[in-house]
Amino acid sequence: MRPFLFDNFAERELVLSTHGLSRRFGNRIALAGLDLAVPEGAANVLTGPNAAGKSTALRSMMQLTSPKPGSIQIFGLDVAEEGARVRTRIGYVPETTQVPYPWMTVERLLGHQAVYFPNWDETYAQRLIHALQVPRDVPYGTLSKGYARRVQLILALAHKPGLLLLDEPTDGLDPLARDLVLGLIVDHLGAVPTTLLFSTHLLSEVEGLADCLGLIRDGHLVVQLDRERLRNLFHSYRLVADKNWQAPLELQDQILSSSNSGREWEFSIWGRPGEVKAQLEATGARVEEPRHPALAQAVHSLLAMEVA
Amino acid sequence: MIFRLDYSDSRAIYLQIMDEIRRAIVLGSLQPDEPLPSVRQLATELRINPNTVGQAYRELEREGIVYVRRGRGTFVAVPRDSDSEKRGLASELAKRTLHEAFRLGLSLEELITAIGQAAANDKEQR
Repeated sequence: MRPFLFDNFAERELVLSTHGLSRRFGNRIALAGLDLAVPEGAANVLTGPNAAGKSTALRSMMQLTSPKPGSIQIFGLDVAEEGARVRTRIGYVPETTQVPYPWMTVERLLGHQAVYFPNWDETYAQRLIHALQVPRDVPYGTLSKGYARRVQLILALAHKPGLLLLDEPTDGLDPLARDLVLGLIVDHLGAVPTTLLFSTHLLSEVEGLADCLGLIRDGHLVVQLDRERLRNLFHSYRLVADKNWQAPLELQDQILSSSNSGREWEFSIWGRPGEVKAQLEATGARVEEPRHPALAQAVHSLLAMEVA
Repeated sequence: MIFRLDYSDSRAIYLQIMDEIRRAIVLGSLQPDEPLPSVRQLATELRINPNTVGQAYRELEREGIVYVRRGRGTFVAVPRDSDSEKRGLASELAKRTLHEAFRLGLSLEELITAIGQAAANDKEQR
């Protein structure tokens, strides 16, 4: 028996869904039939090992790469047919901080962007520039990575899109800049109702932000759950027992990960915490109260289970 | 007021926010008719989902601990009975302490004895 790991959010209104999204680059398979569902209004975090396909998935949504086969629906429209229309309602921050026109000053880059987005809010853009202390008159290409990211975020946020696609927006930034970017995103969500799809490795950062989690591995989605389900999927147990103690056989299939040092053990185990604790105690172990896993720990355990 | 959240706590985040606000009210750092930070402000400060803060505020309103003025914000209600507020807070604290004690493998008796002992020591030192 395996835990329930994949919710297709069939009962919720979806802003974005992908169907059998596949992409290969030469021999390397980047996406292998990705079925992602993004519920409206949720902060969705997409995570997974390097080269799992996160960026390719986001790039496909922006038609920067073409999936073969596979289809994407955003706002109820087929991206392959109505991509340009769909993109006017998306704010996208790519993995790279490079832009097509690095010689443009920040001010000009904003003007350039404003032309393409009917909902561009110039007052909001100027307020963000001021709040984030972004210089207006220097060429974008001369900005540090931290400032370039701020500009990219302003470009993505100032037209108040219904959907934000952020591809590792805090990656490679120093801790202060990361925190600032995160604060900017949360502040925006507090002001403008937005569906968010946020890919990241840094799960501790989005611990309080994530409503839904998607875990990609080898080009397909192995886990898709809302936060509450994930929080209650399994628990961590710490226990003290004799040196030659062994975990009860009937729990073997439920153990996601374990570590041991001397007489202490720590396990991630799925199942009802009351029952699991009782089963562990029945072996004579002294078991601490089960704890909810942090997001990073949950993903770590889920990946360990996938490998096993 | 300063909020502290613990993601490995058994309480969901919105419940922790509710407890932090109850704490601030009982301690007097939030007084009746004073505004709570806006949902957007608090979410940004804590780097958490604004929906979570909204959920906490809605629950507090339902419990009559705060009231909402449309377009103006959320305010601390005048407590109808500050004793019951205190009892509520004490019960929350007791639950949490008990939980932590069990987690560390202590019994209820051991915990009560230790609290009595600590209170006695505290009194002596004053």
